[in-house]
Amino acid sequence: MCSRCSAPAASSTEGITLRFILVDEILELTPGREIIAQRRISPDEEFFQDHFPGFPVVPGVLLTEMMAQAAGKCLYAEDTARGIPMLAKITSASFRDWVRPGQVAILRSHIRSSRPEFATADCQVDVENRQMADAQLLFTFLPRERFGAGYEDAVLTRFLNRSRARP
Amino acid sequence: MTEEQVIAWLGEVFECRAGELTADRSRDDIPAWDSLGVLTLMAGFDEKFGLVMSADDMQKLQRVGDVLALLRSRGKLD
Repeated sequence: MCSRCSAPAASSTEGITLRFILVDEILELTPGREIIAQRRISPDEEFFQDHFPGFPVVPGVLLTEMMAQAAGKCLYAEDTARGIPMLAKITSASFRDWVRPGQVAILRSHIRSSRPEFATADCQVDVENRQMADAQLLFTFLPRERFGAGYEDAVLTRFLNRSRARP
Repeated sequence: MTEEQVIAWLGEVFECRAGELTADRSRDDIPAWDSLGVLTLMAGFDEKFGLVMSADDMQKLQRVGDVLALLRSRGKLD
């Protein structure tokens, strides 16, 4: 089982498992415009065993995926009918400082354009109010029918349910 | 924007070397003018020129010169 989300482990290679839900929680959301989300970087993350022994840092590719997942939730919350947002292009990405075990990554995305066929977003990762990484991302949309029947963005659903429950 | 500037911008969009693109270059001769290239171009039209294009509009663009003609017709070329 995944310690983070209590879901069954997705895959296994020689005992190593990796889920790919890289956003823990949405903090603020304006659908189609902006999102602030967070990801706690557990010291137990398996990738720290290899990246790197004695100098554990979050791989830039995972920081980019965190930004993409946060922006994707912002786009999906705007319009579910056009499909699931999929990262199509990393237009640019910069990694300014190391993100280390135990830190909380704040993921901010500002949607620059959101059209039926594509969307673009300016994204960044902050830790303790310091910008650690940023990226410009291009998204396309894949019809929901291409995904499994049970596909659901649990993190987004949880946030929306909580928002609706507020007085 | 001048024609030269647009061609330079298209070179960035389609990841071509400087001078590689000319008005008569066909989409078929530009490897990066694929489905991702089309998306990138659509996003560029939107953000750089304020032009919202449909997938059908994009299908009509078959040469670099077609892009120039489109921008000219929309008053975006000097």
